[in-house]
Amino acid sequence: MEMSWAFMEKENRLRRENGLERENRLGRENGLERENRLERENGLERENRPERENGLERESGLIKNSRLAKEQLCVVNTTGSSLDGMASGTNSPAITDRAEKIFSTADVSAQNMDILPARAAQGGNTMGLMEKLGILTDSAKYDVACTSSGVERKGNGRDLGNCVKEGICHSFSSDGRCISLLKILMTNECVYDCKYCVNRKSNDVPRATFTPDEVCKLTIEFYRRNYIEGLFLSSGIFESPTRTMELIYRTLYLLRNRYRFNGYVHVKAIPGAPPELIQMTGFLADRMSVNLELPTAEGLRELAPNKHRRNILTPMRQIQNGIKVNQHDLTVYRHAPKFVAGGQSTQMIIGATGESDYQILNVAESLYQRFDLKRVFYSAFVKVNEDKALPALPGGPPLKREHRLYQADWLLRFYGFQAQELLDEKRPFFNVLLDPKEDWAVRHLEQFPVEVNRASYELLLRVPGIGVRSAQRIVAARRSARLRFEDLKRIGVVLKRALYFITCGGRMMYPTRLEEDYIVRNLTSEKDRVQFGSDGMSYRQMSLFDDGQYNIKPDPGDVCRVVTGQM
Amino acid sequence: MRVYQCEDSLEGVCTAIYRAYEDHAEHRDTWIRVDKELMLFGEYIPVETDLERAEKVMRTLRRRFGQEDYESLGLALTTPVPEKAQAVYQTVAYGLRAALPPGHLLDHQTDQYVLQTFQLAKKAGREYGQLREFLRFRELDRGILYAENAPKCNVLPYVMVHFADRFPQEDFAVRDIGRGLMGVHPAGGEWYLTDSEQLLRALRQVGYSAREMAYEELFRYFCHKIAIKERRNIGLQNQMMPKRFQKYTIEFAKKT
Repeated sequence: MEMSWAFMEKENRLRRENGLERENRLGRENGLERENRLERENGLERENRPERENGLERESGLIKNSRLAKEQLCVVNTTGSSLDGMASGTNSPAITDRAEKIFSTADVSAQNMDILPARAAQGGNTMGLMEKLGILTDSAKYDVACTSSGVERKGNGRDLGNCVKEGICHSFSSDGRCISLLKILMTNECVYDCKYCVNRKSNDVPRATFTPDEVCKLTIEFYRRNYIEGLFLSSGIFESPTRTMELIYRTLYLLRNRYRFNGYVHVKAIPGAPPELIQMTGFLADRMSVNLELPTAEGLRELAPNKHRRNILTPMRQIQNGIKVNQHDLTVYRHAPKFVAGGQSTQMIIGATGESDYQILNVAESLYQRFDLKRVFYSAFVKVNEDKALPALPGGPPLKREHRLYQADWLLRFYGFQAQELLDEKRPFFNVLLDPKEDWAVRHLEQFPVEVNRASYELLLRVPGIGVRSAQRIVAARRSARLRFEDLKRIGVVLKRALYFITCGGRMMYPTRLEEDYIVRNLTSEKDRVQFGSDGMSYRQMSLFDDGQYNIKPDPGDVCRVVTGQM
Repeated sequence: MRVYQCEDSLEGVCTAIYRAYEDHAEHRDTWIRVDKELMLFGEYIPVETDLERAEKVMRTLRRRFGQEDYESLGLALTTPVPEKAQAVYQTVAYGLRAALPPGHLLDHQTDQYVLQTFQLAKKAGREYGQLREFLRFRELDRGILYAENAPKCNVLPYVMVHFADRFPQEDFAVRDIGRGLMGVHPAGGEWYLTDSEQLLRALRQVGYSAREMAYEELFRYFCHKIAIKERRNIGLQNQMMPKRFQKYTIEFAKKT
């Protein structure tokens, strides 16, 4: 599909042709206009104005707002005026109740300007923002991507926010995963019935839907307090893919144009949505992703009967082409709008279907090569539904497998490895004891040891214990001096792994043997080593004297007999 | 052996470097110190910070070594290590003598001073990154945002640059508790550093805004909900988010 900056010039025409006019009309009918009016009345205009007034004016704006004044009445008494108590925090269950009360009050008026009537609202239930946030975070948490990297955008002096190339994690949850973005679903109402998904149609779970305005407010207020780096917006399929994508686009449009948010935004492209909508959303988002869900088409057929491989790959290809065209545009027109500047990503569920690591890695490699993806995420399958098509996971989610896949993924992207080098059809799974790079190195001992002072950068990258940064520093440092092992240690090389594979000035660090079995035994930890011998897994032929067999202590009688010479 | 004693700041050290070059000092036998510790057989020369001279040195460093390495030198000088001034001075002297091209000042890591500067810069850079991540603003009345923390390195100016770019139209203040310094950013204006007690007292008199507690509670709830209990890994959480930062965050602060 032709996509260029000219597209933006043609946007008006496209709008008329492809339903945006309808959207505008809908907006007018469904309350967007009313929303504006209400906002003016409620003093919310303050938030939308890029030029901020001074604090006093703002305060008077607050007091004018009757709803917010009500909030003030609720909360002011509970807060201490001294900053001393800040660090310790003043949280109590009573505050939770109050907060819920505030937001349920807030929500009553929010529903007046609701664009999308939630099921809860239809039933006359006034669901509080707290409750909605709980439900929609709970539903979004199995999506793994939460990175805010890939875009460097300075602040423009007017709008709220900027982007940092390396990304910023703002917190870490109790599972050790980073919290970088406000990761929520627009709605967890879904017409699909994917067997692995917590939001599947047939599941009896509480359902909720955010209004675009609620999402924007949450994002802005969290961002101002430095809780988050931006928004990650996904959604269940509400009514149809088109309707869902429309909602996402509308939210983003509000966030960028009315709330003047200049921070990071990651959204899902919904397979099956019209290309025009995806394209327009792409001009507002920093990263887009389409979830591949399962590595193979068979797996998808089995577990996600409503999703089709082709439907998933079509928007992926569209975004790839869009990015390419946009890169060209940006070289010609300096101020051309950016399309998905942070690239696109996808995710696959690991362990729900029977694919091997080799198949998964091949899929990832072809996604990187043929679809120019920035990242492929792997999500260890967490069993949230009972279904006969799903595997039983008595040991919990396959976290170790996920970890090995991520390690291999890094090898593909930054270390110049190919999927075929790491695994093959005869060995389709990763070694549990060694990481993929160590595993590759012990199987290719003919290439080692390498001389650190002379080896090429590409070869250095293949040495276990030397990462991208250390390799770069080695190459830079050896221009001015000959490197020794102590220099390598200071540079950041992990010598306990690297020492079997490198020489410095023609010498190895310690006298070591370049043998597969010897190196493997030394690379695996003490704990693993016992397992290594005892479960019969070995790199050499089994013998009577395997380490694992020597765990039984001789009984005291035998010891006496040995001492007295009877045995 | 000459020892130049200067103020503990980028400007102070730059002035001392200027003096060392002005005096045609033998660099390997010259020291720059920011502390008062005495050295045996040292000839002590106190250096008054001179902004004009410091600016000249800073301009040269930026031109010769590039912006990135210049920032690394500045970051190294924010660490609370007494030897930092000597490490930076010797690194600069080495770089100027060897006429290194921009971006290559810290390549020569077999030299102890270059390596030390590099490690100090890395340490301060990491803390700057952590403050960017874990600083939490709380909204006071009139929409003022206020945050405090106690970093080991004096990275407050770097933090202010980051947040001034991010929140151009916000009134905000960041306080470094350990040093008693405060960075203040008036909406739409230039930020500045101050140690004014008066301003702090004024801020203390302003209460939290009406909605502050509600948003804090929402974020706590969000952090609680986003965790997958089957993947629980508290060790990893603590590794990624050191305890000394946890106590200043909303989601970890002890509930009272």
